[in-house]
Amino acid sequence: MEKSSIKRRSFLNWFLGGGVIAWLGTVSYPVFKFMKPPEIPEADQSQVTACTFAELKASENKYKTFKFGRKLGIVVLLEGDQLRAYEATCTHLDCTVQYRPDLNILWCACHNGKYDMTGRNIAGPPPRPLEQWQTHHDEATDNIYVSKGEEV
Amino acid sequence: MRYLYKLLAVLVMSAVFSLPSLAVENNCQSCHADWEDEGGPASMWDGDIHKEVGLTCADCHGGDPTLEDMDEVRQGRSYVGVPKTVAIPNFCGRCHSDPSYMKKFNPSVATDQLDKYWTSIHGQLNEQGDAQAATCVSCHSVHSIQPAKIPSSSVYPMNLPGTCAECHANPIYMKPYDIPTDQYDKFVGSVHGRQLLEEEDLGAPACNDCHGNHGAAPPGLDNISAVCGTCHARQAMLFAESPHKEAYAKAKLPQCETCHSNHDIIQPIDEMVGVGEKAFCARCHDADSDSKGFETAAAISDLLDSLVRIERMAEATIDEAEIKGMSVDNERFALKDVRSALVESRTLIHSFDLEKVKPEAEKGMQLAAATHLRGLDIIEDYYFRRKGLAISTIIITLLAIVIWIKIKRFDNS
Repeated sequence: MEKSSIKRRSFLNWFLGGGVIAWLGTVSYPVFKFMKPPEIPEADQSQVTACTFAELKASENKYKTFKFGRKLGIVVLLEGDQLRAYEATCTHLDCTVQYRPDLNILWCACHNGKYDMTGRNIAGPPPRPLEQWQTHHDEATDNIYVSKGEEV
Repeated sequence: MRYLYKLLAVLVMSAVFSLPSLAVENNCQSCHADWEDEGGPASMWDGDIHKEVGLTCADCHGGDPTLEDMDEVRQGRSYVGVPKTVAIPNFCGRCHSDPSYMKKFNPSVATDQLDKYWTSIHGQLNEQGDAQAATCVSCHSVHSIQPAKIPSSSVYPMNLPGTCAECHANPIYMKPYDIPTDQYDKFVGSVHGRQLLEEEDLGAPACNDCHGNHGAAPPGLDNISAVCGTCHARQAMLFAESPHKEAYAKAKLPQCETCHSNHDIIQPIDEMVGVGEKAFCARCHDADSDSKGFETAAAISDLLDSLVRIERMAEATIDEAEIKGMSVDNERFALKDVRSALVESRTLIHSFDLEKVKPEAEKGMQLAAATHLRGLDIIEDYYFRRKGLAISTIIITLLAIVIWIKIKRFDNS
């Protein structure tokens, strides 16, 4: 009788110890997860790296698209190495615009919508201008940063 | 002296208050308003652009507006009165074709409307003395004319199809011309009509965008792709570079219209391409006499089918992950790229060249497959979390039971 009581007690002690360890595990797991940066970037970003200047210069039509939070952006290299960035989604039916160096316009291939280099809709069906963003070329890293706020 | 000042002040004030009546005495409107029903020129005139810019009835109809007797007005040398229907274009054109006169109101206004009108079918019929043919007032209304940019204007893009339909959808009125009268009904149900009239998208075409406005005429057989290409520029360019352009010209087939029709253009479906029952390609390219065209059509159709299938699969996976409460922002973004590749592949069909369609379709398929796999990973992660929650719940519950037994044991001892 005494033997079985000791057995049951030691089982309970083991179980209690194991349970406490498991409990500590469930508490510490989210803490470690929090310390590790998430794979998905924060949605509400105010600045992103669009590409490097070298990549943009080497691109065939002098433009690159990039992700800015949940939006798609386009960074363009104009004559004289001027940089411009805009939201890349056409305001007509959500197609992606591209830069046409031959006409110096942003062009939507879906319905021939045209925007000038301030983002203003100048021809075709787009009802509104494209949002223009700020650009900054960091010569040390060669990165082109794009932000929605004041010039960086 | 004081009385003299008072008298002078009264005289000045009287002169000031009587100025409007001295400046404009328009008996036309006041008399016409007395005997006309509501909806007559006098009541409509208040909303007219011509009144807005300071013109009066006499500027178009002539006569002396200060006279009260209509017989006297009619005897005046400048009196024009109501023009005959066939004379209306020249009646309006007296001012609207005069750049130096029109410049006073708007320096950038067009003054070529009358010249264009004579090139239109309406103008040609008018020249033959056909009083039924549309003139300026048929579209712009009369005495309540408003610029095309004003939403209540009869020629505002959303109102224009209805304006054209007043004549063109009337079988009795159109009977002498032996042309169909179902264009409006077809247009309303078309992809363009729905976009313009239901979605209120002013970028969608109204009648004038394809037919012209003052020079309205059906597009010729050779320039249909130029008309459609105004908006569908890439498709038109690809078509113009394709072997179909020459083949269509030889066969006297209208370019875009052969596959897409005209007034009742529907949203194109992928089944239009290929060799199936609904496919347009198979109407000309059959397996026996034209195996190359037949095989190309079948191969392009297969590519599109595969891309659409895998895109739907990826979308369904991402939808499922989202319903389970997982974050799928990146995957939604990737789906946009897949969608772009699909749109581009569908556009490239107009080259009728498998080698052009294939790389874009395959790029889309790879993207869609990667997105689908990522979606499966996210769903797996969801189940891992659920299992983790179940295990930790069991552990915590058992722990609570053990603590309870321990406490009870301490109490007993």
